[in-house]
Amino acid sequence: MSKLQDTARSLLDAGEVKVAIGYGEGSVGRVRPLFVTDAAGAQGLIYDGRCTQNLAVYTYKKETAAMGKPAVTAGVATMRALMRLVAERQLREGDFIALAVVGDEVTVCRTLSEMENWLAAAAPKPREADMEMIARIEAMTPAERWAFWRGEMDRCFRCYACRQACPLCYCTQCTVEVNQPQWIPVGATVQGNLEWHAMRAMHLAGRCIECGQCGDACPVDIPIHLLTVKLAADVRNVYGAATGMARDETCAMSIFKPDDRENFIG
Amino acid sequence: MARIGVFVCHCGENISSTVDCERVAQQAGRLPGVAFSADYKYMCSDPGQSMIKEAIAEHRLTGVVVSACSPRMHEPTFRKACAEAGLNHYLCEMANIREQCSWVHPKDEATTQKAFDLVRTQVEKVRNDNPLEPIRVPVNKTAVVVGGGVAGIQVALDVAAGGHKVILVERDPSIGGHMSQLSETFPTLDCSQCILTPRMVEAAQHPNITLMTYSELESMDGFIGNFNLRIRRKARSVDEKLCTGCGLCTTKCPNKKIPSEFEQGLAFRTAIYTPFPQAVPNKPVIDRDNCTWFKTGKCGVCGKLCPTGAINYQQQDEIVEVKAGAIVLATGFEVKKTDFFPEYGYGRYRDVITGLQFERLASASGPTRGEIRRPSDGRVPEKVVFVACAGSRDPAKGIPYCSKICCMYTAKHAMLYKHKVHEGTPYVFYMDIRAAGKNYDEFTRRAIEEDGAKYIRGRVSNIYEKNGKLVVRGADTLLGGKPVEIEADMVVLATAAVSCDGSEELAQKLHVSYDSYKFFAEAHPKLKPVETNTAGIYLAGACQAPKDIPESVAAASGAAAKVIGLFANDTLTREPVVARVNRTAPPIFSTCMGCGLCISICPYQAIDTEEITDRSGKVVKTIARINPGLCQGCGTCVSFCRSKSIDLEGYSNKQVYQEVVAMLNSD
Repeated sequence: MSKLQDTARSLLDAGEVKVAIGYGEGSVGRVRPLFVTDAAGAQGLIYDGRCTQNLAVYTYKKETAAMGKPAVTAGVATMRALMRLVAERQLREGDFIALAVVGDEVTVCRTLSEMENWLAAAAPKPREADMEMIARIEAMTPAERWAFWRGEMDRCFRCYACRQACPLCYCTQCTVEVNQPQWIPVGATVQGNLEWHAMRAMHLAGRCIECGQCGDACPVDIPIHLLTVKLAADVRNVYGAATGMARDETCAMSIFKPDDRENFIG
Repeated sequence: MARIGVFVCHCGENISSTVDCERVAQQAGRLPGVAFSADYKYMCSDPGQSMIKEAIAEHRLTGVVVSACSPRMHEPTFRKACAEAGLNHYLCEMANIREQCSWVHPKDEATTQKAFDLVRTQVEKVRNDNPLEPIRVPVNKTAVVVGGGVAGIQVALDVAAGGHKVILVERDPSIGGHMSQLSETFPTLDCSQCILTPRMVEAAQHPNITLMTYSELESMDGFIGNFNLRIRRKARSVDEKLCTGCGLCTTKCPNKKIPSEFEQGLAFRTAIYTPFPQAVPNKPVIDRDNCTWFKTGKCGVCGKLCPTGAINYQQQDEIVEVKAGAIVLATGFEVKKTDFFPEYGYGRYRDVITGLQFERLASASGPTRGEIRRPSDGRVPEKVVFVACAGSRDPAKGIPYCSKICCMYTAKHAMLYKHKVHEGTPYVFYMDIRAAGKNYDEFTRRAIEEDGAKYIRGRVSNIYEKNGKLVVRGADTLLGGKPVEIEADMVVLATAAVSCDGSEELAQKLHVSYDSYKFFAEAHPKLKPVETNTAGIYLAGACQAPKDIPESVAAASGAAAKVIGLFANDTLTREPVVARVNRTAPPIFSTCMGCGLCISICPYQAIDTEEITDRSGKVVKTIARINPGLCQGCGTCVSFCRSKSIDLEGYSNKQVYQEVVAMLNSD
């Protein structure tokens, strides 16, 4: 029995949490999210390189939130998402326990301070493959880049899997669902798709925690996460702010500091 | 069904010379929902307004579009006319076809088309307008004046005389400002302290005025009529209530070699000190950076000697929270020091001094008791060179503006020197003599003609020391640029007047705009000279630009008139153009997710949170709440809200969208 399974079982046994949210074996060698509500079920929990889905989304999705206080298996990206949800007042200290995992090691984080310390030590970096892809796109001429994204957007059929997978798309009413007035067209056309994805990227500017799950969730493999990951890198370069690292961080786009760099103007 | 009236103004020929107003009116009349349209030569005239009022009654109009000038000009006029005819103020909109169309385009078909398009967007806006009611907020009738120089004192006295409470905040230990440092004042040569100190005492004794010296503004929030300020009372280390101002402590302090700020470094003070004899309040402070007790924990002489036990080494800074309806900034100016001028010795020559230092030399209360003596050896100088425009009007020094006061005080200095040293010769290097003002030119003529000041039109290129003299090299441009060299005993630089240290931070704390020289910016250079762009915050004196005493006092009385005008009403009316967070039916209650990012983005601190509870009092949701009294309707939160849960009254998402669609569907 792994340390992760052990830890989850004892937390469930002690009644400290009602559910352990983690990863379990799925079909054809894939992993799937697993919701363990009794100690016996804890043996189904796994954690390996395939476990990339951001589990922070289940802390607020209606059906799973109703299961009670969770212990969430949290790699770096999930932990950053949890912390960002705290910063955006969607979660509070004590609402959840994070089982911080690195390889086979498990750290039980009950307090936000424990989570912040663990994150600071983990020193998260964006995924290398993403940064390589971004560099390739940046090397394109504007015309090539435009053609690239138009080609990608052409395939989008607006299933919104990107939004469902994103831990920070927690609004009960998304802009795209506002129809009085309908700023963003809902039809799956290149134009409407561009508007939707541009808007989603802007809504995540200064908030995205670089998990890349929106892109991974896309059924037609549009690397849509590159937009938000690039924005996150820009925000970090311009304002020096990494997101999802501390409970009291704000959003780089929602604050003004007299010493903000303004070299992007003119 | 909407019944909208469209009124197209010719504005004499301002609009009609490039726009076919008659056709715009006719086309507008055919728009869906438009029940009436007309054009007229001057819509803002009485007959024009009557036309609107009659049309509202006759055609039972539900909205009005006046297609004329900028809403900045006549929106209040037309809204009032509509209100008189029984239509809600906010159902009247203006299409700006003058500044944004007729003035900037030639007479052309396209110009008329653009005017019509602008009308059409406003028809769409009015169609989606809701009647709004003005918001009334109470006015707190206390004014806070920041800065206790002559301008701040004048504001305080005038507002207090109007029967209102004033809190006068000064960062130095005493009020008085620069004027208390001056010797005589131009153009009358009356003693500066003799005319200022009675006002200082009056301010201290006035029942409506609370003095807060040695205090600084920490932070501000709120809005006109309802500001909340936090003021830091710096620790004086002296209990003001117990201290009698006997001054024994200042005579016995062993630490006597600290350059005096009041004497501009020409004399020393002790670590516990009163800045000058007429200080108000006449209570000393301990300069903790220079006090032996605070540096080493030893000494304590003042504490042992004080007959009333007023010395308190443990005193802490205190934050005082104050509510006020108006704020007046009167933080004044500074002058550049001699070290700003490499060509004049970088401040190394002790006998090259600033005009403000000369004031102290000439002052009866100064370090030489009013005798003009060189700082280096105390000798009476036989030749003194005065350099006007030291730094001012010099783009290379980053100060392209005129400091305004130097021409006059330099003439005064030359005169005072001549009056005190009869055999001496004053030379004045100048660029122009700017002596516009009542009795000013006469004054400078007197300096030249009666007191024999030798005026040389030209600039000084450099100054260097030779055999105990200061060699001043310049040019006389009236003699074709002939080089001039004067061996002087003392040089007085009329150094540029610049904004105060810390003025930028203060402006940011108060959300007041400032110019590139960090002087505070007035709301309009001609018509709103004492207002800032932030309602309820006013300006007085040289914090706005260099000003002399009469101008500062006049601006102060102007600012005081604005404050008293504001305080004349118990409540004030605010535009109901404010943002609101939506509410929906349960179980959602509001589409706001309470993420709180709008709280930090709001430039007016108008947003906090509110808890929605069910019948049993259980909190079911926490959402953003916008205080309509604080909201300025800027719309920043509206654009930032991801779930579109905030909308701006009078400029709703729907209205803006319909306007854009109307514009895009132009044919």
